[in-house]
Amino acid sequence: MDIIVCMKWVPDTSEADLVIDKEGKDIKKDDLDHDMNDWDRFAIEEAVQLKEKLGGKVTVVGVAPEDAEEMLRECLARGADEAFLLWDDAFEGSDGFAVARILVSFIKARPWDLVLTGTLADDDCGGQMGGMLGAMLGVPSATLVSAISVEDGKITFNRELEGGLYEHMEMDLPAVLSVATGLNEPRFVSIRAVRKVASVEIPTLGLGELGLDESLVGVQGSRVQIEQLTMPPEGEGAEMIGGKPEEAAAKLAEILKEKGGIG
Amino acid sequence: MTMFEPASVPIAGIPAPVLSFIILVTAVCFFAYVMYRRIDLLRKALPDPRFYELGKRALLAVKYGFGQWRQPRYLGAGILHILLFAGFMILSLRSLTLIGRGFSPEFHLPLLTGAVGFGYDVLKDYVVLMVLIVCVVCIVRRAVFKPARYDHPGGGGHGSEAYIILGLVSALMVTDMIFDGSALKLNGAEGHAGLLPAATLASAFMPESGSPSLPYLHVGGYWVHILVFFGLLNYLPVSKHFHVITAIPNVFFANLDKGTIKPVRHGVKDWMELEECGIGRFEQFTWKHVLDFYSCADCGRCSDNCPAATVGRALSPRMISIKARDYAYTHHPVLWSPPNNGDVQFTGDVITEDEIWACTTCGACEEECPILIQYIDKIVDMRRYLVDQGAVPQSLQKPLQQIKKKGNAYGGNKAKRAAWTKDLEGIEVRQLAEGDAADYLFFVDSCGSFDPRIQEITKALARILHRGSVDFGILGNDETDSGNEIRRLGEEGLFEQVAEKNIEAFRARKFREIVAFDPHAFNAIRNDYPEKFPIVHASQLIAKLLRSGKLHLSGEHVKNRLVTYHDPCYLGRHNGIYEDPRFVLNQIPGIQMREMSRSYSRSFCCSGGGLLLWYENEQEKERMGEVRVRMAAEIGAQVIVTACPFCLINLEDAVKTTGNEGKMEVIDLVELIDRSLT
Amino acid sequence: MKNVFVLAEHRKQHLRDSTWEAVTAGRTLAKDLGAELTCILLAADTASMAEQLAKECHRVLAVEDPLFETVSSEAFTKALVPLLADKEPYMMVMGNSNAIMDLAPGLSVALDAALATDCFAFEVRDGKPLATRQVYSYKVNALVSFKDAQRIVVTLRGGAFPFVPSGSAAGTVEKVASPISGEKLRKRFLSYREAEKGDVDISTADIIVSLGRGIGDEPDMEMFESLAKAMGGVLACSRPIVDKNLLPKYHQVGTSGVEVKPKVYLALGISGAFQHVGGIKGSPLIMAVNKDARAPIFRVAQYGIVADLNEIVPALEAKIRELKK
Repeated sequence: MDIIVCMKWVPDTSEADLVIDKEGKDIKKDDLDHDMNDWDRFAIEEAVQLKEKLGGKVTVVGVAPEDAEEMLRECLARGADEAFLLWDDAFEGSDGFAVARILVSFIKARPWDLVLTGTLADDDCGGQMGGMLGAMLGVPSATLVSAISVEDGKITFNRELEGGLYEHMEMDLPAVLSVATGLNEPRFVSIRAVRKVASVEIPTLGLGELGLDESLVGVQGSRVQIEQLTMPPEGEGAEMIGGKPEEAAAKLAEILKEKGGIG
Repeated sequence: MTMFEPASVPIAGIPAPVLSFIILVTAVCFFAYVMYRRIDLLRKALPDPRFYELGKRALLAVKYGFGQWRQPRYLGAGILHILLFAGFMILSLRSLTLIGRGFSPEFHLPLLTGAVGFGYDVLKDYVVLMVLIVCVVCIVRRAVFKPARYDHPGGGGHGSEAYIILGLVSALMVTDMIFDGSALKLNGAEGHAGLLPAATLASAFMPESGSPSLPYLHVGGYWVHILVFFGLLNYLPVSKHFHVITAIPNVFFANLDKGTIKPVRHGVKDWMELEECGIGRFEQFTWKHVLDFYSCADCGRCSDNCPAATVGRALSPRMISIKARDYAYTHHPVLWSPPNNGDVQFTGDVITEDEIWACTTCGACEEECPILIQYIDKIVDMRRYLVDQGAVPQSLQKPLQQIKKKGNAYGGNKAKRAAWTKDLEGIEVRQLAEGDAADYLFFVDSCGSFDPRIQEITKALARILHRGSVDFGILGNDETDSGNEIRRLGEEGLFEQVAEKNIEAFRARKFREIVAFDPHAFNAIRNDYPEKFPIVHASQLIAKLLRSGKLHLSGEHVKNRLVTYHDPCYLGRHNGIYEDPRFVLNQIPGIQMREMSRSYSRSFCCSGGGLLLWYENEQEKERMGEVRVRMAAEIGAQVIVTACPFCLINLEDAVKTTGNEGKMEVIDLVELIDRSLT
Repeated sequence: MKNVFVLAEHRKQHLRDSTWEAVTAGRTLAKDLGAELTCILLAADTASMAEQLAKECHRVLAVEDPLFETVSSEAFTKALVPLLADKEPYMMVMGNSNAIMDLAPGLSVALDAALATDCFAFEVRDGKPLATRQVYSYKVNALVSFKDAQRIVVTLRGGAFPFVPSGSAAGTVEKVASPISGEKLRKRFLSYREAEKGDVDISTADIIVSLGRGIGDEPDMEMFESLAKAMGGVLACSRPIVDKNLLPKYHQVGTSGVEVKPKVYLALGISGAFQHVGGIKGSPLIMAVNKDARAPIFRVAQYGIVADLNEIVPALEAKIRELKK
């Protein structure tokens, strides 16, 4: 089975102090480390495990500038067979939709049975890639997927709903699956494992190679545009709720309700 | 001498010398072949150059081999073993003599003639009786009192072999007694009775002189003795009693480099180029590893002291030796061909991943082993294999990745490594730029830089150094994780990277010594780094400052409280620093100290430092720190002082979970001194 | 005329809360855009749900088909494209539940629409909507525009648009025949699977009630379970709770346990050791209750109460059940 895994290279923002840049449309990224999007780590692991079981080839691809080679190389060390970087200056500023277009132009040009990716990315928190890819490729897709197994050109899996409920589903191949975290235990990548694949070439494909027009990508090709970033108000430490237990509980319940803490 | 000597009595028509010859040749040939097979496996194992510092090695052999130095750590069993060992040494001459007696009734070893010979006979006779008594005591001890450490809770033990060997040795002694006892009666030499207690004792059970059965007893006793002797000889290399032969060589070739880990592979220029790294298959052990396996006597002392085994983790160090030896004997058998291995993977199936990750590398097992068997190197080598395969517990992956990316396991921003210095009032901590010089380079390490609790120790040490007018500085953002645990978790490539970065930073600055309060960092820099830099532990530097009168202490903080000191593994066992911290503590006026039941080299690991703080073990029933806190509670300690930040974290946590919060304080030595400064 | 459509979400023949929140948001959006609001219900049996919707929405489009038994992204997309083709849909509004996450992105492509997921506020400038959502580990608010999009799909953060009853509408239900009747789907629902107790994955839970050492030596676990249930969340814990065998290991939050990113994290009796806090850094809203006013958890929490849990928890649960009406 030939699997294409779409990987995202994201700034590590979860534990960093973020600062919005002058234009106010992005954060300052110079001091931030970048890393493989955590959800995608599970996608590449799942792909390699499926390959180990069923044979075939795993191709990893990322829409990102050269720095992301590190991520793709790590994927090779994890067991991927080939890796491609899709980048062109014209790709700068692409939203999820434009990125999906770029990926689709790559995927369509080669044989594949399954596209895997993470359900969500830590930078745009969009959770849209899998569904868009499926629609553009004209194949079924599913998100928050775990417990994948493949048999007779069909793939079965669980799709996670809220509160510990799953939909057990079956899908025809080819298909796009966006995996949930925790569906497998990603393997460790040692320094040596990366060194072993150090000489594997990772080609970069741009507009020309992908047969894309400039108007379809980047800011031009995007449908959504960030107007303004702001930091949510944040006090020093917690706002303490006082009063008798019943009063405090009532206040807390109100806040919970307001913030979506009652599902 | 009479005509009833064994050499003169044909057996089943075969002249005794001929029979002796046949037995000798058969037994020796078989023994030689078994030994050939055993040595063959050593030859096929991977190299490990241990033929250096032979003088030092000879001393080891004398001290730990012939001197049985570590035996009395278990007093009862130790004394029994020393007696048995001495008996073996003395009686080996007797055995040679008796073999000779099968050829000639007059056979004597050179020098053992005349008065010397008689003197030896008397000595030997006492020893025979002693050995017999020891054997009986041992059998009773095992069968009736059943010391817990001889148990094999997970199965796979070879307990019955102990009875076989004790039985054979007893049989040797008894047949010797029969042989000599009957001789007393036959020769009418009862005048020597007082000097030959064993023979005399045996003769008391025999018929009167002149009885026709006496010659049978004499000759029969002899041949049974000879058969048992050769049986025993041949039993050794196929049982756990191979140590009788291999222990002294094993001690001779023991590890001389304490505190460090073996290279990935000896004699290889670039281990990164290897097909496989670490130990995944049995064939990847070194010959010394295999000799260790041969030598384990299954005495259980390692496991008895192993903190992982104590809290119920999957690890029992001796089972590594025993399972590996069983594997070796099965897959490299003396006779016939090895079984089909199937899919059995040595690392993973024979030794499980749970066992391999359970180890904290505290070194208690190695400290205890009477014959200096090493475990940490093997475990690390197996981890290297697992790391290479990507099979690292999830709980350890994140911190390892963080070190790769950010130089610390905490995920802290590289640029904030020295942020703690801003919290120090009135003290300017110098960040040494390249080319700068200071007397002391304070190596803070990741924990001291990023863990808020451990930062307190960092700041305390800075204040002490400041007070002691020590010229010191830090590396600041040029510092990287020391790598002690990275290496011990088997990620050698990452270890090399961090070591190289720190070494570069050291080289670019001038200093007299490095000082570190974390024993793990101290150990890595002192023992692991390929380039050596002078380094002291904070306790040593504080001791020095106290000796030179630069610091003065008050006893206020520990007033009216009983204090105990917990030896950190990487300060004590791995680096032999036991006295400096105690010296420092004793400088606190009025301090009341008491040692826990386990202290010094028998200290009990708190569950490990560095990255092991992140490691989650699913099998353990309680935490090591809790076991340790209970030991402190047993002696009524109200303050546990340690000299390792990770001990501090683990023990502080354990004080809470054992319900001792408020009753017991855990404090780092550096913090205590900081608080006691006047 | 611009049209705003709200897509009703249901499970097991019941409308989910996300539907009412979407109705509320859709109503405001329609008003601000000067648009017409329509609610679309695709279900196997629409009768009772359509009736409920009609109480809140002037127009309800009800489509019945066994293929709509569950919120199937394939069936819904295939049906919605022809259904909306002649209805000039300008905005599609729906919750951001796990089921909708499966549907919205593909639907936006099929409708040739712009998409913004997980929005928690809207405004209208020059007749065009703008949405606010969160980016970069949910730590930064982003105001996004849809350029000149002719069609827009938005999904809503749960709880961001609390339901407000309309008080007026007695709407009409228009039944429409299913355009995909009898089609064979390439993605087929087989069954629901309840996570066995051991399968609770706190890493993906949106609402977490987490317990720490501060719950005491002999805690009333049922009290906490009941609270979590009332909140629609799952129970998690710090290491000491696992050590005491009060909860299994897979409930443990922290750098050494599971890292979680819930929308709301309610920490009960958790002191806030770094190992634990390291596992909840992805959570945008942390609320803490602890006896110890100096517990470090209050440094990372947005709201805190210093109190005895045995008093707070039952009161909190009662209040929550009351708010859920």
